[in-house]
Formats: sequence, C-alpha cells, structure tokens
Amino acid sequence: MSERGTAGGEAGTWICRALDIGEGEARGFGPFDDSKRKVIVVRHNGALHAWLDACPHYSTGTPMAWKTDAYLNGDRTHLTCHSHNALFQMDTGKCVLGPCLGQNLKRIEIAVDEEGDVYIAAPRKGGLA
Amino acid sequence: MNIIGPDYLVFGVDDVAASTEYLTAFGLKPVDVTSEGGLFEALDGTGLIIRHKNDPSLPPALPTSNMLRQQVYGVKAAEDLDAIEAELSKDRRVTRLADGSIELKDDHGFELRFQVTKRRELVMPAEKINAPGAPAQRKPNEIGVWEEMPALPRTLSHVVLFVPDIEVATSFYCGRLGFVITDTLTGAGPFLRPKANDDHHTLFFIRTPDYMKGCEHLAFHMGGPTELMVAGTRFVKKGYQSFWGPGRHKFGSNWFWYFNSPLGCHFEYDADMDKHDDTWVARETPLNAESSQIFLFEMREKWSPAGGPPPEGKK
Repeated sequence: MSERGTAGGEAGTWICRALDIGEGEARGFGPFDDSKRKVIVVRHNGALHAWLDACPHYSTGTPMAWKTDAYLNGDRTHLTCHSHNALFQMDTGKCVLGPCLGQNLKRIEIAVDEEGDVYIAAPRKGGLA
Repeated sequence: MNIIGPDYLVFGVDDVAASTEYLTAFGLKPVDVTSEGGLFEALDGTGLIIRHKNDPSLPPALPTSNMLRQQVYGVKAAEDLDAIEAELSKDRRVTRLADGSIELKDDHGFELRFQVTKRRELVMPAEKINAPGAPAQRKPNEIGVWEEMPALPRTLSHVVLFVPDIEVATSFYCGRLGFVITDTLTGAGPFLRPKANDDHHTLFFIRTPDYMKGCEHLAFHMGGPTELMVAGTRFVKKGYQSFWGPGRHKFGSNWFWYFNSPLGCHFEYDADMDKHDDTWVARETPLNAESSQIFLFEMREKWSPAGGPPPEGKK
C-alpha cells in the first residue's frame, strides 16, 4: 500500500456508492481513518476520480469547498479551491489557474465493486468507471 | 485626504445565486438584490456589491482568477474627493461621476472609487464583560449569552490584497493617499491605516507572484469576541467551510475567523481591533505562525462531560 493509497484512508475503506455521483457532480466523503482531509469524488465524462480535499497552495493542504459538497466553480467546469479560486481539472487534478498553478491535487486510488460500491484501492493510474 | 476606509467591495462572480446564499448566511442584509446581484450590507450600510462576471456594468476584471472588481472608499467630505482628484490626476486618468464620486486605478491596476461615505453612524454597545477589580459592565441579572443572541457584521473592516510589488503598493497608498503603516510582517507586507480611521488597519498587502494579484480576504467587524464565536459557530453548523480560526492576531490584536467563499477569497469575522494615532511607532517582525497569532483554536462539535460513573457495560 503506497502513500498515495493511504493519504485519505486505508485501502479497502468504503467511500460511497458509484450511483451517488452524477455526471459533472462532486461530493466530499470522510475524513477516513487518521486523515484530517476529506476525499472528493467527482464524475467526469462518465469516469469517477477521487482527490484528497487539500489544496496544494499551502504545504499542509487546505479544504477546498465553500460549503458542504460545494467543490465546483460556478460554471461547473472545474474542481475549485474556494480559498483563492484555484481551478483544477476534474480528471487530472492539475491546477490550471490560481495560486497553485501547475501543481496537482493528490489522487486517491479507488475501485468500484460489482455491487457499485466505491472503495479506496491499491494505487493505479487514472479514474475508474 | 480624509479617507475613512472601504465602503463597498465590488465582485464579478460566476454564481450569483451561490454568492447570494453565502453572503446572506454570513449575516449581510440583501438590499434590492435580484438574480442579477446587488448590495449586501452590514449594519452600518457598508458591504459588498456583486454582479455576474459578464455584467457589462462592472469595472474590468483583473488578469487573474480573482473576482474583485473595485474597491469603493468612503471619505469624509466633497473636499477630500477634490484633493484626491487633484493629486492623482497628475499622472493618471481620474473620472468624475455624476454623483460626485471619482474613479481611477492604483499603480497595480486595482480599480478604485472614492465617494463621500455612505456609511451610517452606529450607536450600539460593545460586548460587555465582567472582571474582578474592574466595575461590572453588565448589570445584575443582565446575562452575557443566549441561544438567539444577535451576532451580525457591524461594518466592513478591511481588505487584504495580493500584490506583486510591496514598494509600489505602499508608495501609492502612503505617498499619494495619506495612509500610514502601523506594523509590518516582513515577508508578507505592511498594515495600513487611512488618515480618518484609527483602526490598526483597513488595508494589508501580501507579496505574491503576478498571477495571484487580487483580494486575499475581506473582513467585517463584529461586536466582540463572543459575537465572532457565535457567528462563526452558526456558519459552520450550516455547512460553511472554516479556513483559519478562531484565534487572535498579534498585530492589530483582533480576533479572527476566516472562511472559504464562492467569491474566490476568504471572508473574515474580526473583533476588538487595536486603535492607533500618529504617535504610534510601527513594529516589524518576520511572518510566521508564531507572529501571526497569540493563539489559535479549531472548531469542534459541542460536547459535555456527563459526570457520574460510565454507562453500564462501557468502562
């Protein structure tokens, strides 16, 4: 189990049901285990991606929503840190505008089982359907 | 130049409905607000004006992701507007509007407007405390807190700007507009007080790269630390996201509690800020966690020790 897999909770930790997250929606879950930060799950072009709710602008990371589950900008095009309006691509986690320009959110690897439950998984690249 | 401080801050937002919900929950009063935006005011009439970012009536956007469009400063009298116009028209365009106010840009390109202040005089008691050795501030049977106690922002306190060049910013506001430096956090920047306001600061600069230029946060004064704690607690319980606090700053001595917002900057409740006059000698200290606050707390859910033995079976 790598650091990436444990940053927001232990591998195997149940996060949500895949059906809970509609296309273009983002929600926060947790924090899990010893983490102080939630896990953001977002669906983009059909695929689920999970990110640690920690803006890389500050070394300790800071929570990004302005209200519970409010992680997107007004145009619903980007994950957004509502500290300073930093915009992140939903599928790569890359900051494309704002204080942490060029930096990345920390990906949380996830897996979806046959029942449609989403778990923190051992690390692998990319989002999962 | 009797500048008092910010009357309004104008934002071009990407979600008017979300901003309206947020500002109202923060404790500001919507005045003639529609789906297009409007004014949200504190108890003295200062506050925020929001419009959708594509609204053509807004001043132009900054070349960053920041949503701040204009800072509207209140001055004491029409003569102060004349003095500002005379000084700044030496090297830039100053536009006189029909209502007598003037518009111009500072040396970083921030849009400014100056007007005879529209703030209303507040006559309200400060938070009252009782302490041994001092006369009681609350009369017998006058309680200090109750569940529904009011805790509303009283006035727009200060704005903090991300600027790429501290020297340029300081020269403009101190050299051209008569602000004075009250203290400096080396590595961030100076706290500034305008001539007609004795608050420790109405303006603070933080040095950042050019691509961050904009508003870092804005703050509203509360009636005291208890009001700050009550307002912040209510805000968190409604689901709004705390960023930093509650705590108390060293420079300025003000209590603070910062929150994320859909306006792309932080919103702060502050309380009990120091007052200064021209005899004050500015301090300077490096910016770090120790210098930023005398103490810092973090909100937790309400809890109380029940007393007595542990529940049966749970030892």
